[in-house]
Amino acid sequence: MTTEVLWWIFAVAIVAVSAGVVFARTVIHSAIFLILSLAGVGAMYLFLTIEFIALVQFLIYGGAVTVLILLALMLTRMGIAGRPEPTTGVQAPFGALVAAGLMATLIGVAVSTAWPGDLGQNAVAVSIENIGEQMFQNFGAPFMITAALLLVAFIGAIVIARQEDED
Amino acid sequence: MVPMENYLVLSGIIFSLGVYGVLARRNAVLVLMSVELMLNAVSLNFVAFSAYLDPDKATGIIFAVFVIAVAAAEVGLALAIVIRLFRNRSTANVDEAATMRW
Repeated sequence: MTTEVLWWIFAVAIVAVSAGVVFARTVIHSAIFLILSLAGVGAMYLFLTIEFIALVQFLIYGGAVTVLILLALMLTRMGIAGRPEPTTGVQAPFGALVAAGLMATLIGVAVSTAWPGDLGQNAVAVSIENIGEQMFQNFGAPFMITAALLLVAFIGAIVIARQEDED
Repeated sequence: MVPMENYLVLSGIIFSLGVYGVLARRNAVLVLMSVELMLNAVSLNFVAFSAYLDPDKATGIIFAVFVIAVAAAEVGLALAIVIRLFRNRSTANVDEAATMRW
């Protein structure tokens, strides 16, 4: 019972801070709301008793990705360049329409579908051992491809962002 | 435990907010943050399905790990592009970055 109450508090908080990300007027506020939203989703993984993903979420999203985004925000402040920060464009009403339609569809589908094999209250925790076995026995090739992808992406990022002094 | 539909509805709401952010906001970094919101909603959905429908195979959890890894690669590359755009154009407005070359 306490868990459910806590769950609802976290769910409402996540929706609130996620709305803060897209509706906040200044980008720094959006970034702070994003940190809270990512941490909230990490808490959701804890509610699902899947600690591994929660730890990965806190480490990678809460740590690395947030730092990258804050750094990019610092480097691209348009107020310094003498131009106003852009907020929303003329597309905003249409975007709201599309997002509202999508939200209604997703909620409708999620609620009305009878999911086959739903364990409901009997859902059991997935152990880290199980995740590791599955990862390295059945998903070995995607794992290595992901490693190559990360390497290529970060070399590419360095090449793109590098100062070109020669021209 | 709360039923699985709660997680699905929550991730649907987060995803839709991310879609609104991508379509409406004009700051390139903010568009990227909205994409991160959407990816997070997708991961939550995968993990919820995995926990409630098939905890033995853990497929959804593995998928969430890959989503997080690809998101990290994507965010690093995209921020490099944004920084490059800002250096060349002194703007981070995606509406002003309409040409493919200059």
